Amino acid sequence: MDDEAPNSLRRMSSRTRKVAPKMVAALASTDNRTQAALARLEALENDNAGLETVEPIDDDEASLDDDDEGYVQKKAKGTKRKTRQAKALENARKPPRNFLELLHEANLESLPPQVPSYLRAAVGPPNSTCRRHFCTVCGFASTYTCVRCGMRFCSIRCQTIHDDTRCLKFVA
Amino acid sequence: MSNVVVLDNGGGLLKAGHAGDDDPTTVIPNCLYRPLSSKKFIHPSPLFPSSTATEDLTSAAVRRPIDRGYLINPDLQRDIWSHLFSTHLKISPPNSTLLLTEPLFALPSIQRAADELVFEDFGFKSLHVADPAKLVHIYEANRQPHGLAATAQCSLVVDCGFSFTHATPVYQNVALSYAAKRIDLGGKALTNYLKELVSYRSVNVMDQSFIIDDVKEKLCFVSDDVARDLQIARRRGKDNLMRCTYVLPDGVTHTNGFVKDEKEAEGYKMLSLENIEDHGDSGERVQDRKKSDLNKNEFDLTNERFLVPEMLFHPVDLGLNQAGLAECIVRAVNACSSLLHPVLYESIILTGGSTLFPRFAERLELELRPLIPEDYHLKIITQEDPILGVWRGGSFLASSPEFEGTCVTKAEYEELGSARCRLKFSHGKV
Repeated sequence: MDDEAPNSLRRMSSRTRKVAPKMVAALASTDNRTQAALARLEALENDNAGLETVEPIDDDEASLDDDDEGYVQKKAKGTKRKTRQAKALENARKPPRNFLELLHEANLESLPPQVPSYLRAAVGPPNSTCRRHFCTVCGFASTYTCVRCGMRFCSIRCQTIHDDTRCLKFVA
Repeated sequence: MSNVVVLDNGGGLLKAGHAGDDDPTTVIPNCLYRPLSSKKFIHPSPLFPSSTATEDLTSAAVRRPIDRGYLINPDLQRDIWSHLFSTHLKISPPNSTLLLTEPLFALPSIQRAADELVFEDFGFKSLHVADPAKLVHIYEANRQPHGLAATAQCSLVVDCGFSFTHATPVYQNVALSYAAKRIDLGGKALTNYLKELVSYRSVNVMDQSFIIDDVKEKLCFVSDDVARDLQIARRRGKDNLMRCTYVLPDGVTHTNGFVKDEKEAEGYKMLSLENIEDHGDSGERVQDRKKSDLNKNEFDLTNERFLVPEMLFHPVDLGLNQAGLAECIVRAVNACSSLLHPVLYESIILTGGSTLFPRFAERLELELRPLIPEDYHLKIITQEDPILGVWRGGSFLASSPEFEGTCVTKAEYEELGSARCRLKFSHGKV
């Protein structure tokens, strides 16, 4: 996870604002499997997995949003379609929506080490590093690893299902 | 004395009521949701006192003001609170005092946002902010005045909630924040994990958070021997005590999902009675196949039922590089003075909705016992209603005579600002 040598081969887009912070960390990492694992953990904290278009849609509800977006809102209504620039403006004016963004802003790393903080309260890695592996297809103890993506399976039957469905899904 | 409102502002459920009462006036999900049929986000109906869930929650989108346990969207929270205060509690904030819960280590910007919300948007007369661990300790100490938590004034509160899990030592009614430890796993992550498993293995339920929440609450349990239970879950037909079928709502005859066979769901409890032997494959294969018919709006759960809560005890299995609950407790205790260790181990209080999984306490004891010195006693106290434990402690604290003095008034806030007022909650004076 710590091998964040800036990968010059990967062409990074400048539009990273829309990507979740852990995803940014994952993209910076060179290891595809680490990327997949981090993205998955991030997904577990997501409220609306499967409904990914939620946030853009409810921008139209003035009642729940900030009043000071009036300018952008009016413009959007006038043209019936938001230009890309208007959307970018709106995004830029929104306060940080995510706890991890706030955490980053608070700059807790700069506190002296004896002060208890959110970061220091995390329990940290376990003493024994043995990880049990379960088959990603059926859930039972798995003995094999997919050579392409590193996911686990327990039998030929599960391997076939794995190959057919989600092998390389994240790491293509 | 004026009206004191106690508000346990949880990530999943909002518990609100009047100080001095035994139970909160209302418990509602702390979110707005939008069903498929609507364009607007609407307020969910309360779960308590009467659960009249008539809403159609299939494929509902959710917006929560709280992310990872902390208040990050004050605008949304203001909406939910004003609905709560006007329709459910029927109070007027300017004449009331508020006791609000906030998890430990809230960032200064989050604290400021909460203070602004309370004083500037609602204009409460005064405010007291307390952390959940302290309130749970107060409740337990008050409930059993001769118990150890009361006489030693010290306990270890394990709060396994919606957003995360904390193990916090409490000493003389103050949570020892330097020793508190957190696992970044809670009910929400577990629900999402179950959702992921079910979606991959049988029916796509990725957009059905509420239904999977219900599945988790009804069917998941903590296994006390994972290897053995995995063996059992492999069996076919009737020998498989783990298998259970959940019927999804079809929107016509029933709008809520339900467990197909309650008796089947309880099957795993018979484990302790029967002795485990290997069953060979009997000729029930055909029946087996028939059962997992995907056209019939239902799905089977087998090993998912115990592998999902299992992640709290072994987050590493999920790829989250953190210690499990038992180790988390040991580290929290070890961070305290060694004089407190024996007392802390003897008064571990479990609270929070995720501890409601059957056999949670037994499993924790099983894992914890080998990790602590053998001459220490180990006692795990479970609450009769872990979801309301924090609120009840708050209700008790707010009805004590000294409470008024520990609040920050609106005038003090206006003069000193948020940061200075916060000192009062930790040190007792501005």
